Amino acid sequence: MVTAAVMLSVVAALAWLLWLAADIPGRIGTARWVGLLAVALIPVWLLLVAYYAPIEAVQGIIQKIFYVHIPAIIPTYFGFILSAIGGGLYLFTRQERWDQLAVSGAEVGVVFCTLMLVVGPIWAKPAWGQWWAWDLRLTMTLILWFIYVAYLFLRSFAFGSDTARTYTAVYGIAGVCVIPFVYFALDLAQSATMHPTNPAREGLPPEMGRTVGVGMITFIWIFAWLIARRCEVGLLQSRVLASRVGVA
Amino acid sequence: MSGPRVALEVFRKDLRLDLRSRDRLGHMAVFALLVVALLSIVIPASKPERLSWSPALLWVVMLFTSLLGLARSFQSETEEGAIALLVQAPVDRGWIFFGKSLASFVALFGVELWAAALFTVFLDVDWTTGAWSFLGAGLLGATGLAAVGTLLSALSVGVRFREFLLPVLLFPLVLPILIFASRITADALAGREIAGLVWAVFLLYDWVCVLVGYFLFDFVLED
Repeated sequence: MVTAAVMLSVVAALAWLLWLAADIPGRIGTARWVGLLAVALIPVWLLLVAYYAPIEAVQGIIQKIFYVHIPAIIPTYFGFILSAIGGGLYLFTRQERWDQLAVSGAEVGVVFCTLMLVVGPIWAKPAWGQWWAWDLRLTMTLILWFIYVAYLFLRSFAFGSDTARTYTAVYGIAGVCVIPFVYFALDLAQSATMHPTNPAREGLPPEMGRTVGVGMITFIWIFAWLIARRCEVGLLQSRVLASRVGVA
Repeated sequence: MSGPRVALEVFRKDLRLDLRSRDRLGHMAVFALLVVALLSIVIPASKPERLSWSPALLWVVMLFTSLLGLARSFQSETEEGAIALLVQAPVDRGWIFFGKSLASFVALFGVELWAAALFTVFLDVDWTTGAWSFLGAGLLGATGLAAVGTLLSALSVGVRFREFLLPVLLFPLVLPILIFASRITADALAGREIAGLVWAVFLLYDWVCVLVGYFLFDFVLED
């Protein structure tokens, strides 16, 4: 049930964001309702984490990081996929709205990716006995983080808004094409795996599984709301720039 | 002029420039010499340890050295505003990308051979057992580095903090080269069999990089 709700949230959030990006000024009003939904979900998720999900027998209270660490995965990948879609559409249509979607995806994706990379080691130290393990999934996430931080640097250093848009779209597409090879290469370089092979909730007690599911849904809607707001800010930014040029 | 002809002319121009001024090749050669010398001073002196470190170090040296060459690959185009004229060539701009990449490929492959020779002299690496595999890895590595590097070098030409940005953009994307090439080199030196899958994926990676560069280069030059 919860899994189906997570899937539904992903599809609904994606559909809403694409619909929004097509006409940001006209449709940004709907972001308020998404924001309200996210705000309503946060206390539910927190209460479930605190009281409903049992305390893990071996690891104790520290295992609760799980309910932040795992849900952050979905917005991370969601953001990077959105960024690739937006970049590709921008290159072929040259419409600014797709670029707004791309850069918002990268920025918000980096935020969630950072969250995941920061809380992971805090949990890994007591659970695995070390802060950082060079295992496949962890290293892959770190490389993804590097690629998208580079993307944001390129964005802020390029002169001229059109140039910056084109350059970041090109880099984003090149990055997406290379990512499967990075995964294969890392798999070749390191055989040890610390992460469980399937993060699905089969092996978990149902209380834990449901709590993670609600966490995922909460994160998806926070993510969607942040993307919408970031698109709006980007649009206002480019309007201010355009009006300055007009005055000069 | 046809597309391949433009690529060939761009390639010949860059090659001639490299050979006449010797700036790019000279700087890379001296830099590689310096780094390999420093490495051989600081890494452990025992022979087995040195041998196990060498393949990875060789490719890290290559990566850093290639950065010097790639950063300058569009210098001749920007200095006299030549790029504005170059994009007026009535062919697909992907051909310009081929020409530029080919010139970088030759420079990088040359530096790879030079670095391998330096490892022999300073670190006593014996290439007789794995020479062919190393050459293969070198060719594939130089191809990928030249393709990705040319695209990203073109991206970073008109950007602030270029010296910082190029490695930040380049390194995560060429990580597979570093892993494949050092793995092949390590296996070759140890006389181990190299998995065909590694060669195949390495080749596929190069192919994707060249294709991506060919298609996206047009957008980069447009602005």
